[in-house]
Amino acid sequence: MSFLVLESIKKSFGQTQVVKDFNMSIEKGEFVSFLGPSGCGKTTVLRMIAGFESPSDGAISINGKNQNTLKTNQRNIGMVFQAYALFPNMNVFDNVAFGLKVAGKSKTEIETRVKEMLKLISLEHLADRYPYQMSGGQQQRVALARALAPKPQVLLLDEPLSALDAKIRVSLREEIREIQRQLGITTVFVTHDQEEALSISDRVVVMNAGRADQIGTPSEIYNRPTTRFVASFVGTLNIIEATVVDPAANTVKVGENTIRLRESIGALKGGDKLSIALRPEAGSLLENAKGDTSLTGQVLSSHFLGSVIRTKLDVGGNQISFDMFNSPDAVLPQSGETLTLRFNAHDFLIIRD
Amino acid sequence: MKAHKIFAWIAIAIGAIYFFVPLIGTFEFSLRMRRGVYSFDAYQSVFTDAQFRATFGFSMLMALVTIVVGMLLIVPTAYWVRLRLPQMRPVVEFITLLPLVIPAIVIVFGYLRLYNSSSWIPFTGSTQGTNILLTFSYVTLALPYMYRSVDTAMRTIDVRTLTEAAEILGAKWPTIMFRCIFPNVMSGVLSGAFITFAIVMGEFTMAALLNRPAFGPYLQLVGANKAYEPSALAVIAFAITWLSMGLIQLVSRFSKLTPSRP
Repeated sequence: MSFLVLESIKKSFGQTQVVKDFNMSIEKGEFVSFLGPSGCGKTTVLRMIAGFESPSDGAISINGKNQNTLKTNQRNIGMVFQAYALFPNMNVFDNVAFGLKVAGKSKTEIETRVKEMLKLISLEHLADRYPYQMSGGQQQRVALARALAPKPQVLLLDEPLSALDAKIRVSLREEIREIQRQLGITTVFVTHDQEEALSISDRVVVMNAGRADQIGTPSEIYNRPTTRFVASFVGTLNIIEATVVDPAANTVKVGENTIRLRESIGALKGGDKLSIALRPEAGSLLENAKGDTSLTGQVLSSHFLGSVIRTKLDVGGNQISFDMFNSPDAVLPQSGETLTLRFNAHDFLIIRD
Repeated sequence: MKAHKIFAWIAIAIGAIYFFVPLIGTFEFSLRMRRGVYSFDAYQSVFTDAQFRATFGFSMLMALVTIVVGMLLIVPTAYWVRLRLPQMRPVVEFITLLPLVIPAIVIVFGYLRLYNSSSWIPFTGSTQGTNILLTFSYVTLALPYMYRSVDTAMRTIDVRTLTEAAEILGAKWPTIMFRCIFPNVMSGVLSGAFITFAIVMGEFTMAALLNRPAFGPYLQLVGANKAYEPSALAVIAFAITWLSMGLIQLVSRFSKLTPSRP
């Protein structure tokens, strides 16, 4: 049985339903990220797990125990907030010790555990500092130590990196993942940053309008998006409008190019419209490039972006972007030039809404 | 020097003269008790007066009780309004402003009508009851200042997130209130406390009409019957107010409890 189970969770605020029939099972020790745009309901789900909000319908259970009737302070959950939420009147030691003191632990026990936690986040030397004397990254590490100190059964991270600068974000997210692996704690991480979610999660839940559009490993989410929303939200994707030529042979036409898809077209008839998607990094312009399929079109623009060169191609009225790695002798394609993009047919995804 | 700067200095000078000349005059007059020389005889006379000590002590006690009762009422109210009932903010703000609009004499007559010895709650039927009623009336008078200072302090911390952080760590309401919220709004609480102290020490209407031996009525009594002591008392009253104001400044300047925010 899964460790954290969210069963048919619904949540409404007045007339607005912000979470619609959300189902999810999380295994013990798993790191799951809720990814989605603002207002998709990801934070509301997290707040329901924490007990700050009550579900309008459905059940939340941890380790087989229903949490719906428990108050926040009875759930034994740790949480790290976007705004750090350290107590300004307490120094680092007292902040980390807070949960232990509330739980009535002995002085020796508290001291040992706090030292252990500060060592885990490598801030033993700052035990006497107050929050206002520390940087954002340090404060968030203290917040993490404070959340972990009482040995919670689940750790919730509510966009903990959003307020930090880019460099600290990357190092801290790796640190969080390392600590999570070390402790084996079941973790739910809320973010709107796809790179964050894809880089540190065991599984990602892509949320849209109160529902989980897709749940899968980062690779599945990126390479095999199942809905148009997931495809467009995660990474850059070319959505191409194609016309079915022969459903039995899985062939479609894009401009003057006929392509045989690997995936079954399904119940569509010849002449029906179909949306297919292609990642910009999937194709290649090289003559000798591997690939069983090609698209020919006219170059609209080409931009040098440092590590990659991004070119826009017009293929039968579809604008297709593709990236190629930069090399010192790379030549930028010129506008109006006719190019052939080669790729494998299995790189195409059929988008079913 | 530019013309607008000269006008600014003239305005400041007029303001300073307007405020300080009467004060200097009062102080100078309070030193003239002994004929021909300046002395602190008037102050000595005031400090050795048993009635001064009794009324001053009574008012100080009332001020302390008012601060405690007021803060116990206002901190949780301001907290709940911020946390759970933000839609009630205009209503609470309106209520806390009422004592500035309704004259103290109207409030005290209302009290006397509601809580007289033949009413359902006969506060004025005993000395203790009248003292309690006086405390409540002081709390009412101090409400606009206390509420604002506490609310302003709460605005500087993220009350909601701090509450949630404490709650998820297992804390219950008393712990959240007294270990996480109160210490972080202490500068506001102390500012409110000093203002309240200054108000109560000089308040006349409530104490006089409830017939309690407070410092305000004593000031009036001495003013009506003596020559130099009232000036000495006025200077003492100003000193108390200024001390309170100075302490407010000190508290807000040395408050190290800067909020932890991204």
